[in-house]
Amino acid sequence: MTRRTLLGGAAARALAGSGASPDFRLTDVTGAAGIQFRHNSGAFGAKYLPETMGPGCAFFDYDADGWLDILLVNGMGWGGLDNAGHRRERTTMRLYRNNRNGTFTDVTERAGLAVEMYGMGVAIGDYNNDGFPDLLVTAVGQNRLFQNNGRGRFLDVTEKAGLGGRSAFSTSAMWFDFDRDGLLDLLVCNYVKWSAAHDVFCSVDGKRKSYCTPEAYHGETCWLFRNRGNGTFEDVTAKSGIFDSSSKSLGVALLDYDRDGWPDLLIANDTQPNKLYHNLRNGTFEDVAVRAGVAFSDDGKARAGMGVDTADFDNSGAESIAITNFDNEMMALYRPGRDGTYKDAAQAGGVGQASRASLGFGCAFLDIDLDGRLDLVAVNGHIDETVRRIHGNVGYAQAPHLFLNDGKGGFRDVAAQAGGGFASPKVARGLAYGDFDRDGSPDLLITTNQGAAYLYRNQQLSGNRGVRLHLTGTKSNRDAIGAVARVFAPEGAQSRRVKSGSSYLSQSELTLTFGLGKRDAASRLVIEWPSGAVQEFKNVRAGSYQCTEGQGLTAG
Amino acid sequence: MPHLAPVTVAPPTVLVSLHKSGMPQPRSPTVRLVAGLAITLSAVALYSGYTVRQLHGLERLQGGIIDRNRADSLLLLRIQNNLNSLGLAMRDMLEGSEPYPLTAWQGQFRRIRTDLEDAIAREAQSSPLDRDADQRKYLSDSLGQFWDALDRIFGLAQSGQEAEARTLIRLSLQARQEALSTAVARLLVQNNESEQQAGARIRGVYAGVERNVYLFVAAMLVLILLTSLYLVHYNRRLFEEVAVLSARRSELAQQLIAMQENTFRSISRDLHDDFGQILTAVGAMLQRTSRRPADPDSLGADLREVQEIVQSTLDKVRALSHALHPVILDEIGFEGALDQYLPGFQKQTGIEVHYEKSGAACELDRAVAIHLYRVMQEALNNIAKHSQSNRAEVRLRFLPEAVVLEVEDHGVGFGRSHAYGMGLVSMRERADLVNGRLDLENCSSGGALVRLTVPATGQEAHA
Repeated sequence: MTRRTLLGGAAARALAGSGASPDFRLTDVTGAAGIQFRHNSGAFGAKYLPETMGPGCAFFDYDADGWLDILLVNGMGWGGLDNAGHRRERTTMRLYRNNRNGTFTDVTERAGLAVEMYGMGVAIGDYNNDGFPDLLVTAVGQNRLFQNNGRGRFLDVTEKAGLGGRSAFSTSAMWFDFDRDGLLDLLVCNYVKWSAAHDVFCSVDGKRKSYCTPEAYHGETCWLFRNRGNGTFEDVTAKSGIFDSSSKSLGVALLDYDRDGWPDLLIANDTQPNKLYHNLRNGTFEDVAVRAGVAFSDDGKARAGMGVDTADFDNSGAESIAITNFDNEMMALYRPGRDGTYKDAAQAGGVGQASRASLGFGCAFLDIDLDGRLDLVAVNGHIDETVRRIHGNVGYAQAPHLFLNDGKGGFRDVAAQAGGGFASPKVARGLAYGDFDRDGSPDLLITTNQGAAYLYRNQQLSGNRGVRLHLTGTKSNRDAIGAVARVFAPEGAQSRRVKSGSSYLSQSELTLTFGLGKRDAASRLVIEWPSGAVQEFKNVRAGSYQCTEGQGLTAG
Repeated sequence: MPHLAPVTVAPPTVLVSLHKSGMPQPRSPTVRLVAGLAITLSAVALYSGYTVRQLHGLERLQGGIIDRNRADSLLLLRIQNNLNSLGLAMRDMLEGSEPYPLTAWQGQFRRIRTDLEDAIAREAQSSPLDRDADQRKYLSDSLGQFWDALDRIFGLAQSGQEAEARTLIRLSLQARQEALSTAVARLLVQNNESEQQAGARIRGVYAGVERNVYLFVAAMLVLILLTSLYLVHYNRRLFEEVAVLSARRSELAQQLIAMQENTFRSISRDLHDDFGQILTAVGAMLQRTSRRPADPDSLGADLREVQEIVQSTLDKVRALSHALHPVILDEIGFEGALDQYLPGFQKQTGIEVHYEKSGAACELDRAVAIHLYRVMQEALNNIAKHSQSNRAEVRLRFLPEAVVLEVEDHGVGFGRSHAYGMGLVSMRERADLVNGRLDLENCSSGGALVRLTVPATGQEAHA
């Protein structure tokens, strides 16, 4: 660490302590919205590793009515897995339909999603380009692909799509069009080779069993499935070069690190080097993480990467990378240099020290105060409920971080000032954002391990406005995943990418949000579609817009 | 004849050489303190040099061996980790649990190879200086053979001969991986042993430094103690001398007052006894003459008698005046006064005085001359009173840098008494007033010598 980064970090910390009130307010509306969810990890004392790793959540508009709905992934009792009779209740993921009045209705049964499985994460994408988002729910065991029939129901097409017959400890997943053929392909992260039958005994005190760290298990490769366009997928894991049986992957994010227009992948690994898969444009990838400087920490250590997100948080036009790690490892905030390498700016930016005692999971860049600068939210919670006995400064339930971007490379954690009990300690895992009440501000959804889900409504206090942009591809994949939109204003240009994946086990809305602060309009909007097409619009006023590839910009 | 008592002086008894005031001068502690300071500073400098040298040695030891070993061990661990990853990958390939052909592992091996080669290159830079080149060569050659074998295996797998490829993995690749792992483990053990040895040496250095710190602190304490004792001793002496000096000053003041009273009493007695009676006698004679009929013979006889009485009185007045202040000093200078005084002294006391003058005479300041004169008087009076000598020598020497007055007798000398009389104190004070030096010596041939040396600066100071 250089003296400059140290001083920068100190300055950022000093700023963090300034206690200035943020320009937004969060309100816990979980109960008011009618969301009654409790994660079932199946824990009964055996301390199976998956029990402490989930679940994920998602904001998505399953019925295409323009209002974001909520999906909460759930686990289940182990009875069906270990034949030990430990099942206590039937639990399934929950789908909540947005009633457009701030409340939600549980439509799980009706939607055909009351499927009992040990769910972990979710990735949402319209893989068949029919205009309705489909679901890939990852699990310990068999992942499931649910096709949205457009009439409010989901069909389990796992086997039909060629994704059946695979059992693994899957975690995050992501839809993206790696070969740019207009069809969404699927990447699934797998953690370790684990099964209840081959569980390993680990103990902190030498007596009682505790959750093992991943070193106790062999890694498992991620899977890459290419969309054939006929409803089936081809496993191209080996062919694409993604295969790596040593990986212990928990998070995946989309980016274009070399800005060549071809989607690259950042995969966060737990105790293994992170992977940055460079798309070689021929259906194969090359891992350049070591070369790019994102594989290890600054001191050459493979950290316990959990969640990951990528975004142009410094409005430089290039995407940076945030990765949550284990406690005492600090979050990583990799900023790109000009030579294709990244530098970890977490310490200098005030994120490192603030996150030192946190075990982070879900994380996301979003402009929570609509000031035109992407902020960073990270949710935390330990995996071991007895951790405080071992590390006095680390708790099992931990407060989330809400780092406000000061526009100069620095962040200050305002979670405690955000309101709504947002900073209350949680054993948080999943994190997603989406504007469920359509007020123009991104709201937050958090899941906790063996606990409740939290829905936080975000309200602007200083009148900041933004441009919301929903893209629909025609030549490109219909969800426009991979598209980049750039909004230009006198202060500079903001760029946002339409992404699946990111965070941890979770999926945020695909609609892009550009904060304009007090401005009425952006001078220019440029959309770079995955197909290569580029569209430009002038003088875009604050508000919500739809844009279909090759067509105009429409309000709504 | 009225008697004007000369100032009495107690027999001088001090045998040692006296400086200025005649007191033994305490030697200045500055030289000893400077010497002590120099010794202390030298010791500190020496010890600092020693410590710096030891620290540099430690730094060399730490940087050259321990840090290097540690960095190297970390890289060896990274290499070992990569070799383990190779082992795990080969195990996965053989297990057949993945639904992928063996060629799927090519990318994984490529990644491990990249990291392994990077680690080996770094390790070569940080490896301990005493690392055997053969070991490095063995590692490099073995790895080369491993990659060659791996390439052949992937070649077989690509041509569809997976069974043969798996056999080759079991027979060749796994053995090579294990051999490599063993070689790296051996290097780690060597590093560990080397680190332990360096650790022992460092502990030895620390122990030596600790011992020397104790020695140094002890030496410093002794030095400080000695310096403190010396200062205490010196201060005590200083205070004692100040007390003695103060007592002498007080005694001097008392004796001066007493002497003044004696002088006044003597003058009063002379005035009353001598001059009063003489004037009364003169008056009576004049009255008798006026009542007597005019007889020229008796009148002439009376007048002659009155004239004699008046002449005698005049002599006495002159003698008294001279005793109070030798006016001749103002009129004819020190040498002239000396020439006039000595015959009178010889005549009065019967002591034969031999006077000798040498050097180029110079005119002495009046303030200096009176002190020289009084010291000479005091010394001769002492001879007359105490020396039991019938002979005295007075020497006056004019040197370029000083005027030296010596008064010597051949009598009994000062003896061994340490008592200081008023005369001696008076002489000391006079010597002080002219910045001079008073020496009182017993002569080897018997007798005593009083020497007053007035430096030229002393004369100038009173000019």
